[in-house]
Amino acid sequence: MAQAVNLDALIDMGEGKGFKLERDVDYGAGPIDIVWNVNVHPALPNIKCGFVVLKAEEGGNQDTEDNQLSLRKIEEAAFRGIRSGLDKVYLVAENDDMAKSVSGKIEWLASHGSLIRLDAISLGLAPEQTEQAVVTPSQKRVPQGEKIRKQTMREREAKLEKYNRPKGERRRREHPLKKGIRESRVDRHSRPRNQKPKRT
Amino acid sequence: MSQQNSSAYSKEHSHERLQMIDTLKAPIIQMGRSLGYEVVENHDLGAGPVHIAWIFKPGSESMPDMRLGFICLTEFSNSSINEGIARAMLNLIDKLVFVVPSEAMTGKVKDAIESMPDKSILQLRKYVTVVTPSTLVSKSGIKGVHDRRSTQTEEVV
Repeated sequence: MAQAVNLDALIDMGEGKGFKLERDVDYGAGPIDIVWNVNVHPALPNIKCGFVVLKAEEGGNQDTEDNQLSLRKIEEAAFRGIRSGLDKVYLVAENDDMAKSVSGKIEWLASHGSLIRLDAISLGLAPEQTEQAVVTPSQKRVPQGEKIRKQTMREREAKLEKYNRPKGERRRREHPLKKGIRESRVDRHSRPRNQKPKRT
Repeated sequence: MSQQNSSAYSKEHSHERLQMIDTLKAPIIQMGRSLGYEVVENHDLGAGPVHIAWIFKPGSESMPDMRLGFICLTEFSNSSINEGIARAMLNLIDKLVFVVPSEAMTGKVKDAIESMPDKSILQLRKYVTVVTPSTLVSKSGIKGVHDRRSTQTEEVV
């Protein structure tokens, strides 16, 4: 069942920051739920940030059942904002997961190399999201990703090595002194008789 | 009972809609082929289908392909216009033509596109054209202003 998106957090935040707010406006291209008019400098025009709620109004709720919204809806909402003359269009989803999915789809649509960089204008957002909404590529997010992956692999292999053995055969942690003695014995006994080191 | 009725109605409605789209598409496909363009039906790079695309080289081989997209609108709504523009732009269409069934609807769609705020980043009137299939067909035999002028000049001389 789709939840109603509560926009109070966005309204309070906008008002708290002193932006001029517009609610449920229609500039001729369809309804926009909230517009923040951001005044950065008296000499500069306002920056219009619009918030469009993505709803599952068409064909019931199947669009949101797996935390995903259709590309059609995302495209339509983004262009509704663009046609309304907004500088930024934030697509408000029900929850964080859905917002991430929306942002991912926007990135994918932008990746075709179209005239319009949709990802520069539009972004998925959850109403009470506190963390960064911009999708960061893994190369930037994990600068030494390769090393971390290898380390994880080694740790996993060590665990497998340990737990795949039958209980009785599990290697117990050995004292370093004992380990040294055992290894020197193995070394001595594995050599040919004439090459064995003499005992000190 | 009422649910069954409504689902039957919606099925019938969507069937009618598809039929109308086919009717609107037919002359455009024919015209594109007769003009020697590559005609692609339901051109889709992932953003949703553009009903027809005419793909051609503008003069030289070294120039990139031009893609003229046609999207058929069966009824007027802002959401269908938004969706059509989004699909065309994101599918790398260079110019979009909305094909509508009547002259009355042409006016509505044109007004909707031209009513965009002037300060907007996109000036859609430069990207979108609205026609009816009859406009496309009937104008094909008419000479342009330039041709007419040159004919007149010849007559004067």
